[in-house]
Amino acid sequence: MPSWSSFQPFIPIGLAAGGAYALSGVGMVVLYRATGVLNLAFGAIGAMGALIAWSMINTWHVPGGVAYVACILFGGVLTLVYGMIFGRVLAARDPLVKAAATLGLALLLLGVMNRLWPAQVTRTLTLPSDNGGFAVGQANVDWTQVIAVGFGIAMTAGTALFLRVTKLGTAMRALADDREITATLGVPVRRVEAAAWFGSGLLAGAAGLLLADLDTLASDALTFLVIFTVSAALIARLRSLVVTFIAAIVIGLVDNLITPINSITNFRDMTPFVLAIVALLFFAGRRQYSFARGGIR
Amino acid sequence: MGEEKAQMRKYLGWRVRVPFALIAAAVALTIVVTDSGAKTAGKAHAAAGLACGLGTGKPATGTPILLGAISVKQAGTDFTDIPNMANAYFQCVNANGGIYGHPIKQDLLTDQTIPSQLAAEARQLIQTDHVVGIAGSSDIIDCAVNSSYYAQQHFYVLEAGIAEQCYSSPFEAPVNMGPRYSADGATQTAIKLGAKKIAFDQSNVPGTQYNAGGSKLIAAEHHIPIQFLTENAASINGATAAEKEVQAAGPGGAVVLVFTPPVALAILQGAQHLGLQNKVIWTCATPCNTDFLSNALGSTWNHKLYVNAEMNDIHDDGGADATLYLKVLKQYGSSVAGGIGSFSQFGFVLGQLAVKALLSIKSQVYTAATVNAAFHALKGFKTDFLCKPWYFGALPNNTDYTTYPENGVMQIVPHSGCLPIDKVDPEVATVRAYEKAHGV
Repeated sequence: MPSWSSFQPFIPIGLAAGGAYALSGVGMVVLYRATGVLNLAFGAIGAMGALIAWSMINTWHVPGGVAYVACILFGGVLTLVYGMIFGRVLAARDPLVKAAATLGLALLLLGVMNRLWPAQVTRTLTLPSDNGGFAVGQANVDWTQVIAVGFGIAMTAGTALFLRVTKLGTAMRALADDREITATLGVPVRRVEAAAWFGSGLLAGAAGLLLADLDTLASDALTFLVIFTVSAALIARLRSLVVTFIAAIVIGLVDNLITPINSITNFRDMTPFVLAIVALLFFAGRRQYSFARGGIR
Repeated sequence: MGEEKAQMRKYLGWRVRVPFALIAAAVALTIVVTDSGAKTAGKAHAAAGLACGLGTGKPATGTPILLGAISVKQAGTDFTDIPNMANAYFQCVNANGGIYGHPIKQDLLTDQTIPSQLAAEARQLIQTDHVVGIAGSSDIIDCAVNSSYYAQQHFYVLEAGIAEQCYSSPFEAPVNMGPRYSADGATQTAIKLGAKKIAFDQSNVPGTQYNAGGSKLIAAEHHIPIQFLTENAASINGATAAEKEVQAAGPGGAVVLVFTPPVALAILQGAQHLGLQNKVIWTCATPCNTDFLSNALGSTWNHKLYVNAEMNDIHDDGGADATLYLKVLKQYGSSVAGGIGSFSQFGFVLGQLAVKALLSIKSQVYTAATVNAAFHALKGFKTDFLCKPWYFGALPNNTDYTTYPENGVMQIVPHSGCLPIDKVDPEVATVRAYEKAHGV
């Protein structure tokens, strides 16, 4: 078994990755509760936003700050457009069909990205916060990693507060509880759904930007990082934002802390699946298995 | 009234969806048209003045000579720059008289490392598409799956090899060393630089044991411990991989990377994030020899990454082949996404070899029999890209260069010269003996 000093460098890497997964996870849970759609295209949306930001900086020489905002806004707008067009068409269909449709969006975006940004070209997206950091024991921590964790915490807490105290947030919770009654009470359901689509898309864009820096700016890799997000959301039973955040952090940590253990390091990619299966079996055993849209916590 | 509203909603819904779909289709069409239009305009203007093939300056308009190629194209591994650059050279030749009036047409098939797909593609090329030769292939398992089929069909394949069979079948001749021998060179460089232990990391694709085999022997010869690692290239986290490698190499150790440029870049940038670039000696096999990588890494990595370059570095090579390569890449290489680097150099040399062979066919009758005989007869091919003349054989490129990044480009390490791959690797010993016996 490796020594403690071998594990230390992987802790900030894992925490940062988990923070980014939590951003997407929170967006995914809120969207699912408000609309019944499990958006499997989050990774692809974030990846495309990051690639657009890369093009803006490297090809059109736009200032970095503008490009980063564009990446996040792209996530919001694309998700909103998808939701307004296809969300309506598929509103009456069951959740599996709605999720499969978002998979179609993911594959379409993947094709577009491979066409516009061929994989053979090496691309990187670095944030200004990459420069500088501090050491904690054997681990070097840069500011991007700190931002990823901090942003994950802030967005989880902020979203939970938003849902509790604002009129729109209350409407989203009502929608999650019972859509029909909420509509009957005069709540503008379409506008609330639009806000959920847009907000979750913004989080997907932000997560894509962070992961492009922390992980890699490659369309395929970033698209399929949604698996980590889905696992975190499933562990939270697509219900609790706090549990989603904790699950995302745990997944990020476990995935990275396995690395120095030679006997299982080659099985790291199984981490999100194994943790999600363990959690689901645990809940099934305690008869708590339910993804019904009964409120967001 | 309720029904009327439902109808209205449905109608209005279509009024949103249909225009949106039309806009999306228009955008897609614009991208395609703009892309092909730019290519056509560029090529027409550039035709004159390049010494490709016959160099007549007049386009070839006769019956095309169909040459096939197979290349891997999947997440994390895309070698299509190699056949694409060969095709760029073919286009230049076609614009300059072709092969005595016959243009060369490339029939490129891509795969995702699925053996049944590879087998079907080889048969499609030869039996269905009736290619007369195969030149420009670069695939992880094509040689493993198809070398016996090519032998059956008497096809002598010109390629950039990867699998073991590319370097052992008498019907396959690679212009490169492939990952095993290129990794050998990177390992030799690491040992020469004083590594006390080596961490050898590569993609988790078929052939990993073969790729690592030579480095294992070289490390053992020098009594240097070596640890072998693999990564899932499609989902790699650069920082995690870099930290793992540095821990495996230990203080005073070296990391040998055997990855494509995007994956190697992710690892090296991950290392930079964690401040690891000075902790170990970093070396890499040939794919890292690309200006894109050097430019992306920036000056922090100047002289810190030693790359085994199977071909001469363009920036240090003022020769005729390098000059022509740059012109062809600029004017015909729009589909060569990686730009200047070893992959496109392989493709260029493959194109030159195929054209040299075709021009040598005195009868000017281009059938599978005549073309493959011409491919098989290739020898004594001199190019300023290679240390020694190339010949159709198992491992003709067995001596190479060492480069490192310097201010955004790759440069030959001063005084490094040509590095013979260590003949402790058995195939190298066999090839050296063959070369000595035949005066090659």
